[in-house]
Amino acid sequence: MSTKNDILSNIRSHSGKTYAMPVIEPDAIRYTDTAARFMEVLKSVGGSAIELQEGEDINARIMSLYPEARSIASNLPEIRIATINPDEIATPHLLNGTALAVVRGEIGVAENGCVWIPQNVKEKAVCFIAEYLLILLDKNNIVSNMHEAYAKIGFNDYGFGVFISGPSKTADIEQALVIGAHGAKGVVVFLTA
Amino acid sequence: MSTQHAKAAERFIRNKAQEEWHNETLRLVREKRDRQALLLPCWEQLRQLASQIKMHTITHLDKYIEQFANQAEANGAIVHWAKDAREHNDIIYAILGEHQVKKLVKSKSMLTEECHLNPYLISRGIEVVESDLGERILQLMDKPPSHIVMPAIHIKRQEVGKLFEEKLHTEKGNSDPGYLTHAARLHLRNEFLTAGAALTGANFGVAATGDVVVCTNEGNADMGTSFAKLHIVSMGIEKVTPHYQALSVFVRLLARSATGQPATTYTSHYRKPRKGCQMHIVLVDNGRSDILGDADHIQTLKCIRCAACMNTCPVYRRSGGYAYTYFIPGPIGINLGMLKSPGEYYDNVSACSLCYSCNNVCPAKIDLADQIYKWRQQLYSLGKADRTKKLLSGGLRYIFTRPALYGAALRLAPIINKTPRFLIYNNLNAWGKGRELPAFAKESFTRMQEKGKIT
Ligand code: SF4
Repeated sequence: MSTKNDILSNIRSHSGKTYAMPVIEPDAIRYTDTAARFMEVLKSVGGSAIELQEGEDINARIMSLYPEARSIASNLPEIRIATINPDEIATPHLLNGTALAVVRGEIGVAENGCVWIPQNVKEKAVCFIAEYLLILLDKNNIVSNMHEAYAKIGFNDYGFGVFISGPSKTADIEQALVIGAHGAKGVVVFLTA
Repeated sequence: MSTQHAKAAERFIRNKAQEEWHNETLRLVREKRDRQALLLPCWEQLRQLASQIKMHTITHLDKYIEQFANQAEANGAIVHWAKDAREHNDIIYAILGEHQVKKLVKSKSMLTEECHLNPYLISRGIEVVESDLGERILQLMDKPPSHIVMPAIHIKRQEVGKLFEEKLHTEKGNSDPGYLTHAARLHLRNEFLTAGAALTGANFGVAATGDVVVCTNEGNADMGTSFAKLHIVSMGIEKVTPHYQALSVFVRLLARSATGQPATTYTSHYRKPRKGCQMHIVLVDNGRSDILGDADHIQTLKCIRCAACMNTCPVYRRSGGYAYTYFIPGPIGINLGMLKSPGEYYDNVSACSLCYSCNNVCPAKIDLADQIYKWRQQLYSLGKADRTKKLLSGGLRYIFTRPALYGAALRLAPIINKTPRFLIYNNLNAWGKGRELPAFAKESFTRMQEKGKIT
């Protein structure tokens, strides 16, 4: 407690001139077709987006995309082909070795290919540990830029959320870009109407 | 007379191919940053806003840091306050001890470098595992980072190949980055799954919500915190930002400025501990509140650690991070080192040609070069100035304190290469010794900027 007070009083004793908070209203870029821009940018960062047709069978589409995937983690009721429910496992460690995770995203961001995923499963590990990540996103929830996104994002009681823009990557060895550092080696976003 | 920086730079440039590669690679990163900036018509507005928001925040720091702490506590995090590096390390060691943690997995944190946390913990028997690939490579080599965003930028793939052969038993002679990264993925996955605690830095702390925001490309912060029951956040008090509206400005600038990406792969918001787990946030001062009282250098507290100033710096690119005696290199490091201990780090102030490129790329519009110039003036009172530096700052002072003349000199530079040669590329600037005089750009930087070619 005393350290806290020491720090706060040191801040106060060194404070001089103060500055006002500016009005934060930049002329931020807005796209007329946010979905098209989102798909383009996501591709440029190593991911991809697929528009699902109305009435299309999600499970069949997943199986055709990932024919090899034996272990599929998801708590979404519509993902009938899931083999692990991350809500029902005793420890997140049991997700190690998962081939594919399917999660729901809430907001897409056209300017940078980000999808906001508020934690909506018991183990957030599911978003990071699977070899491949599939995100379901309502096409109508794609905004132009981060200002709009931050005005909209929400959390569940889990108290964690993440913007994900494409697959995990690194360029730490001689700046050579390698996809699949620690997280997903591939990210696909299914855009639903 | 040569400074420490000049001597180290001389060693670096002796390996001509490596120096060329380093210079070129970072120049390309700078170019990627420019391309992203040009894509956003509001780029300059964002920089201006970032600067203003930071000035507002740091001049109301008591209010915002307390609000952040209260909010984080209301979310269920445990907040600690550390006056200096020693307190920071003691607090973390005590938390680990309380939970009988033997192994700590870390994501990148410059603050823990600043506090020398790793050696402190290791000497007390804690196994510390860096999980950012570049940091892990350097840790296995027992070397410090040479760049704040690309820590292993100075290491060649063959060296990593050899290192992994020995430590991770990879194939002999295989130095393919994809192969080596995959080997590291497998090795570190095991560490994530077995560590007792995960430590992350904080790119931002949001006062209104208590969120700790961490940006990575690899996903290592998220992997660590997804498994260990204990999450420790090491956060400098200047990292606080008032609310999401302000945060959105910084998030838009950070990755674009750092690596020329539109966003980092992961922008993670840690608000509450995982169910049944604990989240500790250590708020660290370590000299920051003193800087608030220093009108000449207060702007260093606006830094979001993007490294754009290093990538653009001709001296950094040609001399490498190890040429600087402070652990943060480049323009921001020169200033932070001087603020930490001028007597120890004054050598670095010579590592600047006052080209002002850093000022022009910094997303928070920090007056980096102006500050370096001021330090040079103060070297006299520190008793550290030698004749070289006296001449150097004298000559540059004449021109830099006369904006019209400065503009004219640069505009004329393509025609009369000799004037700037005398002022910039002569023996006065020790790091420039033995170099070819670089051809001046056909158009000056300021000109190109006026025409909108550079932002
Ligand atoms: S001083 Fe500016 S350019 Fe340099 S690291 Fe900090 S924010 Fe980035």
